[in-house]
Amino acid sequence: MSATSATASASGWARPRRQTPRRQSAVIPRSQPAMRTLMIAISVMCYLASLAIGGLILINRAVDSWTTDMAREVTVQVRPLEGHDLEAQLARAADIIGRFDGITEVRVLGREAAAKLLEPWLGQGPLIDDLPVPRLITVGVDRRNPPDLDRLAAALEAEVAGVSLDTHRHWQRELTRLASAMQWLGLTILLLVLCSAVTLVVQVTRTALEANREAVEVLYLVGARDRFIAGAVERRFLRAGLTGSIAGTALGVATFAAVTFAGYAAAPSGLAEASRSLIFGPSAQTTIAYLAFVVVPIVATLICLVTARLAVLKILRQAF
Amino acid sequence: MVRFENVGLRYGMGPEVLRDISFTIEQGSFRFLTGPSGAGKTSLLRLLFLALKPTRGLISLLGRDVATLPRRELPTLRRRIGVVFQEFRLLDHLTTFENVALPLRVAGERLSRYRDDVMELLHWVGLADHANAYPPVLSGGEKQRAAIARAVIGKPDLLLADEPTGNVDPVLALRLMRLLVELNRFGTTVVIATHDTNLISQVDAPVITLERGTLKGIG
Repeated sequence: MSATSATASASGWARPRRQTPRRQSAVIPRSQPAMRTLMIAISVMCYLASLAIGGLILINRAVDSWTTDMAREVTVQVRPLEGHDLEAQLARAADIIGRFDGITEVRVLGREAAAKLLEPWLGQGPLIDDLPVPRLITVGVDRRNPPDLDRLAAALEAEVAGVSLDTHRHWQRELTRLASAMQWLGLTILLLVLCSAVTLVVQVTRTALEANREAVEVLYLVGARDRFIAGAVERRFLRAGLTGSIAGTALGVATFAAVTFAGYAAAPSGLAEASRSLIFGPSAQTTIAYLAFVVVPIVATLICLVTARLAVLKILRQAF
Repeated sequence: MVRFENVGLRYGMGPEVLRDISFTIEQGSFRFLTGPSGAGKTSLLRLLFLALKPTRGLISLLGRDVATLPRRELPTLRRRIGVVFQEFRLLDHLTTFENVALPLRVAGERLSRYRDDVMELLHWVGLADHANAYPPVLSGGEKQRAAIARAVIGKPDLLLADEPTGNVDPVLALRLMRLLVELNRFGTTVVIATHDTNLISQVDAPVITLERGTLKGIG
């Protein structure tokens, strides 16, 4: 442009003081109502996603803990039958059980202990003394070398009258089914959040491009390529996506922390304790949770960027 | 440089707004495009800056056939064409400097490389003091000069201007015309669409005249 200096005076304008800009504004305007809406919506979605992920981790841990406890123990029940000495039947059963490999403990519950188990239904008093209360044997099982429970049941039924073996398999199956249902529910929530995010980003992209139609047209006319415009729009989504997703996830983590503080003093177990182990527990327990929480904003922002880019390129090809 | 052969243009299913337009513009030449309002000047300019494609006929621009030009190659060709719009079309959220630098920025050039060139051009058009000002605070004449600066910053082979002096007083109009003539002297082909006969009389250049969408004459 050196030729321009020579012609400055001929054109009639004097050379004034220089003001040299050091940085450039974004070619797509910064403040957009659509972007603010997107930021709020993304933060809500990431909040829900964080709750769903935290909930999934808690459910998995709880079910794992319950099933481990159940698998560690089976129960043998001996019903009192006429013509049979219940104590002898119990001793016989304990003896048979003790002969099997993989048994770590055999404990015969006394009549008082068995009656105490029925107290919630029958209450205390003489009635319970008159009833033929079944007796229980709790059997510890080595989880690494479990006994053949089918053979154990068959051996007991062959030699002890009125005996039944409860392996808790039914409850394990029920719990596993519940856990599976909860996992699917959590995953469905995540999928719905994902679909909503994609739909929203596409809509906001459309709105943002429409609101900046003049800018986009000018950019085209001065020689911009689609990817330049897509990059400019993408940077707006990066800011909105990152801010919204970090805020939403932080709020999700704060909710678990709040549950810990709100509920722990009143009931030192259940959700409050589970939340405490999720957020403030030993690092072995919290690492996975925090990793999952870190992944939420990263994935959310990536979804924003990729969706926005694809949407921009498609809209530009169709409309310009 | 520019060749039109039997070019026709219609918007949608409407009537033809341009019919059987044929002319040639040689490299380095200066042309006026004139005619009454509604004659088709702006439509012709839009064909020239590749905002539209003709519905029939052949347009050859800077050695390329517009009809067969793939979409991905349009930006490369557009970067060789500078356009001054009647309504300026400056981006209000960018400073004067950023508006003028826009063609270089979209071409991928770095600010450090073009900062001095843009400032020099802003001096040339008398806007250096307004480099950091936004278009809404510029006067009509200042906007017009910023629009011209943006059109020429990329040193285009072809400069198209739609009523470039339509919003300014006669003194400023004369200065702007001097700018365009000087650009032409440096080798840029210039086409100015105007219905201002006074402006046309100030430059000795061929005039393409349109009337009701047809070419009335070149002379």
